[in-house]
Amino acid sequence: MLKWMKTRLRWPEGDAITRFNMAAHRDIGYACASLILAYCLSGIALNHIGDWNPDFVISKQPISLPHPFTKEEITKERIAEFGNLVQEEDYKVYDFPTPDQVKIYYDNASLHLHFATGHGTYEKVSRRPVLYQVNALHLNRLKGWKWAADVFALILIILSFTGLFLLKGKYGMARRGKWLIAAGMLPPLLALLLFELK
Amino acid sequence: MKFKMLAMLVALATLCLSETPGRTAEFHADTKIGVLLVNHGSRSVTWRQSLLNLEARVTAPILAHASVKGLKTAFMEYTEPSIATRMKEFDQEGFTDVIIVPVFLTVSPHTFDDIPTIVGLKEDPHSMQQLKIENIQRYSPKAKPHITPPLDFTDILQKNLLRRVTALSHNPANEGLVLIGYGDETYDKEWVDLFDKAAEYVRRHTGIAGYSYGWCGHIANYKPEETTAAINEVLKTSGTALVIPVLVAHDEMFQIKIIGDGIAKVPDSKNRVQYKPDSILPDLNIERWVVSVTDEYVRKIQPQVSRVN
Repeated sequence: MLKWMKTRLRWPEGDAITRFNMAAHRDIGYACASLILAYCLSGIALNHIGDWNPDFVISKQPISLPHPFTKEEITKERIAEFGNLVQEEDYKVYDFPTPDQVKIYYDNASLHLHFATGHGTYEKVSRRPVLYQVNALHLNRLKGWKWAADVFALILIILSFTGLFLLKGKYGMARRGKWLIAAGMLPPLLALLLFELK
Repeated sequence: MKFKMLAMLVALATLCLSETPGRTAEFHADTKIGVLLVNHGSRSVTWRQSLLNLEARVTAPILAHASVKGLKTAFMEYTEPSIATRMKEFDQEGFTDVIIVPVFLTVSPHTFDDIPTIVGLKEDPHSMQQLKIENIQRYSPKAKPHITPPLDFTDILQKNLLRRVTALSHNPANEGLVLIGYGDETYDKEWVDLFDKAAEYVRRHTGIAGYSYGWCGHIANYKPEETTAAINEVLKTSGTALVIPVLVAHDEMFQIKIIGDGIAKVPDSKNRVQYKPDSILPDLNIERWVVSVTDEYVRKIQPQVSRVN
């Protein structure tokens, strides 16, 4: 029995490990490609969250009223007339955020008027195609997705390690690879030195 | 004659019946009013505790109303109990009306659009999308929601700031005031007006003439640069800047990280900037306001319910 186990369960030879590592890296890479791209795309979008809205296209159109109005003049009929300015037939509700402003709500749009000055903004909101969805994944907005994201992160760690040991010799980690790994460490280390440890 | 007297007696009896306390009590017995103190919410435990302390302080006077049977606090973002959770609880407990008191500085899309959209009074497209991605649940309650205006801070804020500035000030003639608030893109004019009026009030009572303001919220991308710029602006004409956070409660991210970092970037900040990372709460005047606005809405609701009955 012991002899059988020794022959059957022996540690695989170097070539076999290399082949397994290569196959694992290749297949994990294929399987993860879509989600990696989704996360990268979302990552770029979210990096610039201060400069744009990565989830929604918010179109704002300036509106001018024919003349200024007083609050007493803002009747239901007048609200319906304002809808003609923005090609909206039926409003849902309207409300006054301040004594000189009114906001009218439509399906997927709103009209915010400073009626005392006669100016306003018509706003429409729509989801950014693709980005809205990939951001939802990236930011764990889906219930339970955080567990999938954890698993994905672990798989990426495996992908990273299997990548380190793909090749031997001149292009292996022991020679060319070590310098590239060191180069890859530089940006985060420099950032830490420059911005955090000063 | 007998008929006339009988008719008068019947009329008198009817009149008396409609005015008897028992009859009024019967109307009010059907009214079960709850009060929900809604605040922005924060990841900071300190911040949330301040709002819970506010609830604790106003509970007794608010529950003194015969019709008000419950008082709760809800956090709009980040943590439970959310507005939806609380409104469900009110429904389960059989409340007929809920007075929602937004404990917010002044008008903003949160008070004007988000809260009404969450409780089903409005369907603001922007809010609906934003609430969805932030996983903030909407719930249309069976109880009728009544949303009060946000804290009418013009007066309360002025007194609050005066108290805090006076505590920090040593030499008013050489000092300038820097107000740092959350800010809002949509209602920028209203926020600026509110801050200007408060600063003017402080100037009248202390003589501190220099003044500037800066935002630290979403409008400033939560960055400290606006704080630094506002302080530098005041230091052009004043020897010392008194920095006052105009924030409802203390949140480490705002009072320590954003405003603190902004101050640290000011040259010679240790000598030229006076700062205490406090907040508007606790404030007795805000507690009084919560009680009085609740009282006002209870009186509005009761005749309505009586008419319905």
